[in-house]
Amino acid sequence: MSTAQAKPEQPKSPGKEQPRYPTTGEPISTIARRAKAGLWTLIVMDAAGTIAIIIAYSYLWSLNVNGGWAPPGASLTGSETDQSLPSSPPTASFAVEWPFWAIFGLVIISTLAMWFGYRELKRGNHAGMVVGTGAALVVAVGALVAQWIQISTFPFAAGDGAYASAVLLLCASNIFNLLILIFLQLGMLIRTSKGLVSQAVHYQPQILSYWMVWLCIAFLLGAICTSFMVESPNLDPAIFGTFQQQS
Amino acid sequence: MTTMDTRPSGPPDEPEEPTNRPPSMHRVRNWLKRPYAKGIVGLTILLGILLLPVAWLILIPMRATGAPASEIMEGIEQTVFVFTLVSVPIVAFVYAVLVYSLLKWRKYKGDQIPEDESPAIRTNTIGVVLWTTMSSVLAFFLVVWGLIELAQITSNSYGTISADQQPGDEQSVIVNVTGQQWVWTFEYPQHDGVTTEVLYLPKDRPVYFNVTSKDVIHNFWLVELGVKIDANPGAITQTGVTPNKLGSFNLRCAELCGMHHAYMETSVEVVEGETFESVMREMGGGRTA
Amino acid sequence: MSTETITQTATVFGDEVPQPRQYGKPGGIMRRLNMGTALVGGIGLAAIAGFVANALVPSGASTVTFAPVAPDIVYLAILVGWTIGFSVGIGAFVGPIRWLFGRDLTHADAEYMAGKDLGVKRYFKFTTDHKVVGVQYLVVFAFILGFGGLLAMLIRTELGVTWSEVFSPAFYNSMIGTHGIAMIIAMIISVMGPIANFIMPIMIGARDMAFPRLNALSLWLVVVAALCLVSTLFTGGIQDGWSVYQPLASQGPPAMLGYQMTIIVFAISTGVASVNLMVTALTMRAKGMTWSRTPIFVYGIFGAALMGLYAFPFFQYSQIMALTDRIWNTSFFNPLQGGSVWLYENLFWLLGHPEVYVIIIPGTVVLFELMPVFMRKPLFSFNFAVAGIVGVVALSGLVWAHHMYMTGWAPAANYPFMLSTEMISIPVGFLVLVVIGTMWRGLVWTRLPIMAVYAVIFNKMIGGVTGIYLSDVPVDQYMHGTMFVVAHFHYMLMGAGLFGAMAGLAFYFPKMTGRVLDERTASIGFWTAFTGFQITFMAMFVAGLQGMPRRVLQFDSLFNAPNWISTIGAYIIGLGMLIFAGAVVSSWISGDKAPANPFGSKSLEWQTPTPVPLENFAVLPVVTERPYNYGVPDPYEKELQEADQDLHPEEVGSR
Repeated sequence: MSTAQAKPEQPKSPGKEQPRYPTTGEPISTIARRAKAGLWTLIVMDAAGTIAIIIAYSYLWSLNVNGGWAPPGASLTGSETDQSLPSSPPTASFAVEWPFWAIFGLVIISTLAMWFGYRELKRGNHAGMVVGTGAALVVAVGALVAQWIQISTFPFAAGDGAYASAVLLLCASNIFNLLILIFLQLGMLIRTSKGLVSQAVHYQPQILSYWMVWLCIAFLLGAICTSFMVESPNLDPAIFGTFQQQS
Repeated sequence: MTTMDTRPSGPPDEPEEPTNRPPSMHRVRNWLKRPYAKGIVGLTILLGILLLPVAWLILIPMRATGAPASEIMEGIEQTVFVFTLVSVPIVAFVYAVLVYSLLKWRKYKGDQIPEDESPAIRTNTIGVVLWTTMSSVLAFFLVVWGLIELAQITSNSYGTISADQQPGDEQSVIVNVTGQQWVWTFEYPQHDGVTTEVLYLPKDRPVYFNVTSKDVIHNFWLVELGVKIDANPGAITQTGVTPNKLGSFNLRCAELCGMHHAYMETSVEVVEGETFESVMREMGGGRTA
Repeated sequence: MSTETITQTATVFGDEVPQPRQYGKPGGIMRRLNMGTALVGGIGLAAIAGFVANALVPSGASTVTFAPVAPDIVYLAILVGWTIGFSVGIGAFVGPIRWLFGRDLTHADAEYMAGKDLGVKRYFKFTTDHKVVGVQYLVVFAFILGFGGLLAMLIRTELGVTWSEVFSPAFYNSMIGTHGIAMIIAMIISVMGPIANFIMPIMIGARDMAFPRLNALSLWLVVVAALCLVSTLFTGGIQDGWSVYQPLASQGPPAMLGYQMTIIVFAISTGVASVNLMVTALTMRAKGMTWSRTPIFVYGIFGAALMGLYAFPFFQYSQIMALTDRIWNTSFFNPLQGGSVWLYENLFWLLGHPEVYVIIIPGTVVLFELMPVFMRKPLFSFNFAVAGIVGVVALSGLVWAHHMYMTGWAPAANYPFMLSTEMISIPVGFLVLVVIGTMWRGLVWTRLPIMAVYAVIFNKMIGGVTGIYLSDVPVDQYMHGTMFVVAHFHYMLMGAGLFGAMAGLAFYFPKMTGRVLDERTASIGFWTAFTGFQITFMAMFVAGLQGMPRRVLQFDSLFNAPNWISTIGAYIIGLGMLIFAGAVVSSWISGDKAPANPFGSKSLEWQTPTPVPLENFAVLPVVTERPYNYGVPDPYEKELQEADQDLHPEEVGSR
């Protein structure tokens, strides 16, 4: 392979001088391309993790092993075959469905605010970017608080069977994602006010906006599971340790 | 430095007398004239012959304790035998190239970067097509063989019929197998629920197993009968076999299940049909189903 | 606008580039952070967390199954404290916090973090230079391999002493589990760690990887994870095999939490490393390096990183769920309360299978890189090699349940999984053809890297054929859970994987360490290990065929003889590996200084001086030729053309 001497990389558009990345001197468009590629790989990774949770939820829902899917007290197949000690009184039940959608709605609003801010930034409206990002941040904090309230008011505890376990894991993953999101939005706000995010250097809010779209999808998947896959279809599970069916 | 000559020796062939042979055969013949071609083909055949006995040798340890004792195990042995045979040509060829390379193409050693270079073969369409075709045919053969065999074995077992709905005809025997740390227990629901810790099976009669566990995952493995299925807590799995050989065989647990996993063994006694019934009666369970 | 930017400029590779404000000396707080502060932070926070947890957990607290819960919670607190404390102490959080507050790195900061003018100290810091990270990975790999290897010697000792128990069953079970996961971690990083990090950026004509700080993070997280793993030996041991099936794992001692934390942390490391490798391969190739001019090594690393990226989260979540099952009594895997053992197995093997390709693909493509050099001919059928890699990556996610044939989870699924498993042998076969084709009519310059290829291919064929047996469901009905499986995967992962990695390391040794490897001694070690390997695992095949189950420490006297032979072979492997390691270490310390291109390679990474300068290239190269430009025209081409013209004189054209 020949290693011809060549001039260092020229900026992509010679007519307009691009800002350069301070540490490596590369044009910002190169860095932006790299960051976007990195974002796609991160989305694949997070998607795999989300799918793992969805698999756990749906697989356990379909199996209803030993009748332990539903929280004890929630349905007929809950308590009769259960040979363990439940950790809650037999009033535990499935979670109410609308809060999942409400939180999903908040995440959508936050995403829209972020996109608004990013669009304003590209137009040169710096104040618009601050407003958009700030609004997105506030709504995200609201979503976090709402998620926390939802978790603390669930009519079941972690030890109440497979449904409870799957839902709590889903919500924990949501909390984790929201915490990271708030960190990123806060950083975006601070950096915008310092001028590190500007019309010329806007790839970071861009990839954050893409990331938030993925987050919407992740929250949506959770809301779908908890609304449409509640009662297990397996009404006749085998009794643990025996060769008999429920019936 | 050993000299290596990959150039063709002598001038190209003079025009042949007219024949009926297709041009491709000329190519094959000309290719075979090359010294390395003859060498590698010869080595392939030699290594193939040397590797062939593996197909028989591999069965010897499998038969160490009295296998095969069922048609399933006989099928497994046959599969291993056939798979070995069909793998021999490709393995022999690959090994032949390795050996020939070491014998004939070694040229330099030490620190000096070689001045010579080898023929710049970036591709060889015929070679690639041949290899792809052969490996695909081989894979296809393996798949078809395996699917047919699996269908035969599955037809010998219940698959996914729940334990309550299993037929109990005169011939068949149902055994409910429970694995727990670190012991196997067998219950015969057709014989008044007689429970044993040794597995009694009748010869030449189909046996169906429902398997579960009371604690962790175990694996129900009738070694010489070629039967294996996990014993899962919270689930009932099923398999089946028709033993066709009398004798005392091994049941081993084949899934790590704790401290005494190594000791979770018991014996499998395959006895004549009538002996089986009398053993059951002696234990307190006449045939009720 | 603000006053934060454009306060100064710096000369970056010949250009004046505006810089953000310099906070403090170059490197800022990173000047004071190193492995020492990391250890202080890790051990300190672990101790504090453990103490606090111990104080807070009510005494007598127990789980639903009446197991005492305090040791678990304290141990978990210790591990979490260790992870966070070490990460803080090494400076992993400095980057995000600086980003949050808008204190971006200047060029001077970046140079400091890349280890400029720091000498040997840079190997003990959060250094971003990919060359430093590569060497750090090499050392970490060697330690984990040695740890796993020592355990292997102990395991084989127990199995060889058939007349009594050397270790207790509990300790034996923990040895095999720890050996397994240690070796898996070691093999995953064996090529993707040292070689991909050190060599790949130079090979593609770049100055560093796409995300240098993520690179350093991925390395130090392996260190964190490895120490979590070692700690399990002191907390009861991982007594459930490397696959840690539930619910047996919930019966295990607190060490099971150590396993879970090891994997949770290691998964982050691998994920971050995969992101880095993929983006580097995609976006940082030099000008003129189109995909058809990109070395096959890059394709292989990209494919392996992609598989790791999509598959590792499943493993990570399986361990998170196991952790919550244990600590908070959730029931993902507890069948009494709705959990399913099959859920665990599916999540585990969704990673477990792609993982073996994550191990074997880099080991194979590194051979693809070195073969042309030592045979002075181009790689055979580059396109076929790409097709093989693509085929393996595409199918890798579709075969996992062949590890679950015997679980009974979905008997009907056994058919399609058998089909996909047999099909994946085709792209794997492509890769073997590329090796054989490159070897075809190639002169051999008998140096250690190329001689190792013969060993690798020999082992790979045996591993592949025995894999064919296992892929057949009826045959698996006999073989699953026996030592036959153990011998099969050792042939693939060790015989082809480890020996391939050793070949690659021997090849890149001069460039990475600046020294010449003592090939004579290293070869003695290598071939000793190879001989021992055949003895050990051929005898293990026999034991498996006779019916010896896996993971047992006592067994029928029928299996005595093969086990004695295997144990003797294992000691020979140990001896050989020690000799090899000795050659590596002594060459590294006091070997001859290596020339820049001792093997006459035409690849970009060998065109740099040795030691490779910090910025890799003074001027970034422009690529104009395809790789592997070795070889002279084939003398038989002429003959073929003439023969062609004899038969078809009217046709004119070249082949």
